[in-house]
Amino acid sequence: MKRTSGDEIAGEVGLVRLGLRGRFVAFVSAIFIAFGVVLTALAVRAQNDHLRHELEDRGKLLTTVIAANTTDALAMLEVSELRRMIAEARDQENVLEVVTFDEDGRVFTDGTVENPRRHELISEAALRHVAGSEALLVEFDGDAMIVTKPVHLGGSVLGGVRLRYSLASLAEVQASLARRTAMVGAIFALLGVLAAALLTEAVTRPLNEVIQATRALSEGEPVPRLPVRTADEVGELAEAFNEMTRKLRDTTVSRDYLDRVLETMGEGLVVTGPDGTITRVNSAVCSLSGVGEEELLGQNCRDLFRAPQGHVSLLDALGPDGSAHGLETELLARGGEAVPVMVSVGAMEEIAGRARSYVVVAADIGERLRHEQQKDEFVTMVHHEVRAPLTAVRGAIGLLEGGVAGELGERGQELVEIALRNSERMGRLVNDILASRKLDSGRMEFHYEQVEMMPLVEQAIDSTSAYAAKHEVRFKLDEGVPGAMVRVDPDRMIQVLTNVLSNAVRFSAAGDVVTVRASRHDELLSVAVSDAGPGISEDFRDHVFEAFARGEHEDWRHRSGTGLGMSISKGIIEELGGAITFETELGAGTTFLIDIPESV
Amino acid sequence: MATAPPVPAGVLTIGSVSLKPAQEYEVFRPFANFVAANLHEVEIGRGRVVVVGSLSQMVEELREGRVDLFIDSPFPAAFVWKHGDTRPLLRRWKRGSDSYRSVVFARADSGIDSLDDLSGKIIAFGEPFSTTGFLMPKAALASGGLRLVNYEDPAASIPDDRVGYVFSNDAENTMFWVLKGKVAAGAVNADYFEALAGGRIGELRILHTTDEVPRNVVCVRNSLDQQLVQAIEKVLLEMHLSEEGRAALEAFEETTKIDRFPRGSEQDLADIMMLLPHVEEDLGR
Repeated sequence: MKRTSGDEIAGEVGLVRLGLRGRFVAFVSAIFIAFGVVLTALAVRAQNDHLRHELEDRGKLLTTVIAANTTDALAMLEVSELRRMIAEARDQENVLEVVTFDEDGRVFTDGTVENPRRHELISEAALRHVAGSEALLVEFDGDAMIVTKPVHLGGSVLGGVRLRYSLASLAEVQASLARRTAMVGAIFALLGVLAAALLTEAVTRPLNEVIQATRALSEGEPVPRLPVRTADEVGELAEAFNEMTRKLRDTTVSRDYLDRVLETMGEGLVVTGPDGTITRVNSAVCSLSGVGEEELLGQNCRDLFRAPQGHVSLLDALGPDGSAHGLETELLARGGEAVPVMVSVGAMEEIAGRARSYVVVAADIGERLRHEQQKDEFVTMVHHEVRAPLTAVRGAIGLLEGGVAGELGERGQELVEIALRNSERMGRLVNDILASRKLDSGRMEFHYEQVEMMPLVEQAIDSTSAYAAKHEVRFKLDEGVPGAMVRVDPDRMIQVLTNVLSNAVRFSAAGDVVTVRASRHDELLSVAVSDAGPGISEDFRDHVFEAFARGEHEDWRHRSGTGLGMSISKGIIEELGGAITFETELGAGTTFLIDIPESV
Repeated sequence: MATAPPVPAGVLTIGSVSLKPAQEYEVFRPFANFVAANLHEVEIGRGRVVVVGSLSQMVEELREGRVDLFIDSPFPAAFVWKHGDTRPLLRRWKRGSDSYRSVVFARADSGIDSLDDLSGKIIAFGEPFSTTGFLMPKAALASGGLRLVNYEDPAASIPDDRVGYVFSNDAENTMFWVLKGKVAAGAVNADYFEALAGGRIGELRILHTTDEVPRNVVCVRNSLDQQLVQAIEKVLLEMHLSEEGRAALEAFEETTKIDRFPRGSEQDLADIMMLLPHVEEDLGR
C-alpha cells in the first residue's frame, strides 16, 4: 500500500491513526481548550464569587438601611410607619420577605395590609443574636440569604429587621455567565484549533519536506537540498538530513566505485556469513571456479576452498581476530579442477556484538607456482648442467695454469688467468643463485651451534683479506665482544659476514680501510662494517637487499658482485634470528649492521 | 346618519370631607361620572366632586345647594343630617359589609375589666375621623359616663376622673400599643380585631363592643328636585346590577352596593343620632 501522507488510515486494523500533524493539532488544541476551560472556569468562579459577594452585600446593606430607618418607628411603636417602610423595602429587588420585630422577636409587620405574620416569633438563634449584638446575622436557606439586623437604642433592644433576600438571581446571572463563558470557551477552542493548525503547519511542513525527501531518496529519485528555515531542532533536522544525503551520496559513489574495483580486480573476492555461507562473489571468483554467481551464492565456502593443510576448513584456519594472510590452498573449480590460490581472510563485524562476516580474497597463484617450478627446474639445470661442467672447466683451467699442458706463453698465461677468473666468478654466481633459491624455497639447511661470536668475525675477515688485499683495502677490527656467544649456523654466519665484508671492499677505493666493530647492546650482538665508499644513493636504498640489485656507480661496476649477496645475507641473518640494516651517507661511506641475539 | 343626543347641561355635585382633596377627588370621580352619565333623562349631563376640609363647611355647601349628594360614614352623615338641609337616602356597603362596630380592649393582665376601669388611664383610638376607630368607641365610652380628654403623649399622666385618649392613627398601632402596654386600652373595628390580635388574642380582654351601625350613608340635599332624587336613587340602587356599575362601585373605595335602609333611615340611624352629641365637637372641627 502506497502511503500518501502523514495522516494515514491503517486500513488493515480499521483504526484511525493520527499522524504527527493530527497528534500535534490534537495536543495543542487540547492545551488551548484546557487552558480556555481552566481560565474560563477560574473567571466564572471569580465572577460568581464577585457576584455573590456583591449580591450578599446588597442584601446586607439594604437590611442595614431599613433597620436604621425603622429605629424611630420601632421606638415609638409606629407599626403603620413600619408597615409603610417595610412595604417599600418589599418592593426592592430580590427581597423575598422582610419583617420588623420587637425585642421579644415578635413580628410587627411584614409590610402588607393583611400582615399574616403579625406576632409571629422569629427564630431563637436570631433572637439570641439580637439580644446580644448589633451586628448583622447572616443565614442561608437554599437560594435565599436571611439577614437579621438588631435595632438597639440607648442600650435597649428595640427589636430588629429580618430580611429574606433572594440569591436566585445569582443563578440566572451565573447561567447567563455560563452561556457567555461557554461561548468564550468555544471561541477559545476554535482559536486553539486554528492556532494549532497554523502551528502544526509551521512545524510539520519542514518535517513533511524531510519525509518526501526521504521517500525520494528511498526510491532513488533526485533529492533536493532541504531549506533550513529555522535555527531550532527542525532546522537541525533539515541540516542533518542534508548532511546525511551528502554522505550517502558519497557512500553511494564509493560503493559503485568499490563494486567496479571488485569486479575488475584480478583476485577473487568471496564474502561469507558467520557460518561460511557465501553472500557475495566477484567475477574473478566466477572465472576461477567456472561457476556462475547465482550458483555460488548460498554455497558454503568450504565447498569452494579446500581446507588448508592441518585445518578442517578455510575458516578453521583463521586467527583469533578472524583473519588470515597468505594461506595457500586450492579453489575447487567446476569439473574437479583445483586452482592453487593464496588466500587472505578478513573478518567484518558490521555491528558490535553481531556475528561476523568474512571477506576472502583469493589470488590465483598457479602462474607463480609454475614460475617457481620453472625456477626450480632452472636451478636444477644450473646445478647439473652448469655447476658440474663449470667445475670441470675450472679444474681444466687450473691444470692449464699449473702447466700440465706445458709451459704457457705470457699471452697464454694471461688468457688462462682471465678464464680462471671468469670461471670462478661464474661459480660464485651459480652458488649464489643456488643459495638464493634455497632460501626462497625454504630448503636451505641450517646447523645451529653455540659458538663464540668473535672468532666468526675474525675468520670472516681472514677469508676476505686476500680479496681486500687484491684491491688494496685493509680491514681494521676496532672493537670486539670477547666471549660473547651466539647460537647460529657458523658457516652461514661466516657467509653473511664475508658477504658484507667483501661488499665493503668492493665499494672501497684503493688504500681505504674497512672498519669492523663488534659490540653488545640490548641483548644483541652487533657487528658494524663501515667503508669509506661513495655511499648508497637515495634511489637505491630501498633496493639494497633485493636480488640482483646493483648500484649505479659506474666507477665501481667492475667490482660488482653477482647482485645476490646482500639478498642472501638478509635471508640468512633473518633465518638466524637477526637482522641486517645499513646507514649510509653519500660521499662518506656506508655502515652495514648485523644484529644477532646473544646466547647466554 | 344618527347623531348622538346632546349632553344635558345639568350637573350633579357629590361632596366629601377630606384633608387630602386631590386623592379624594380621584376616589369620587368615577362614581360621580357614572351616576351623572345615567341621569341624562333628568337633564344631568355630568358629575362633579367637591371636597371640603370640614364637616362644618360641608354643611354649608349642602345648605347653599352647592353639593347635591354627601356620602360618608354614619357619624358625619348624621352630623350633616342634623345640621344641614339634608336627609339620609340610602345605605352604602363597603367591602361586603353593610354595617360595623367597634371593640374596646385591654391587656387581659392589665387589671382593667370594664370601661370604668379606664379612668385615669389612656386609651388609643385610630384616626380622628374613623367611625369604628374613634367616633363609635368614644361616643360609647362617653355615653357610659366617662370623661374623655385628648392627649398627645401616650405616657401622659391622667387624672382619675378622666380617660385620656391618643390617636394611634392606625388600628395595627392601636393593637400593638395595647399589647406592648404603651396604652391601657384601645379601640378598633370589631371586624379586624381577631386578625390584629392574631395568636395573642388570649392576652387581650374585650371591654366593650358597640352596637352595629350602617357601614356608610348616602345623604341627599333636601332642596334637590324630587324627580332628580328619585332618578338618583334608582341609579344608585341598580349600580351593582351592571358590570359598568360594579366597576364604578369597586373603584369607589370597594363599595359593594348601595341599598335602602332595611328599617328606614331614621330607625337604622337612631343609635348614631343618639350618640352624635358625644362626638359632635370632634366632627365639627
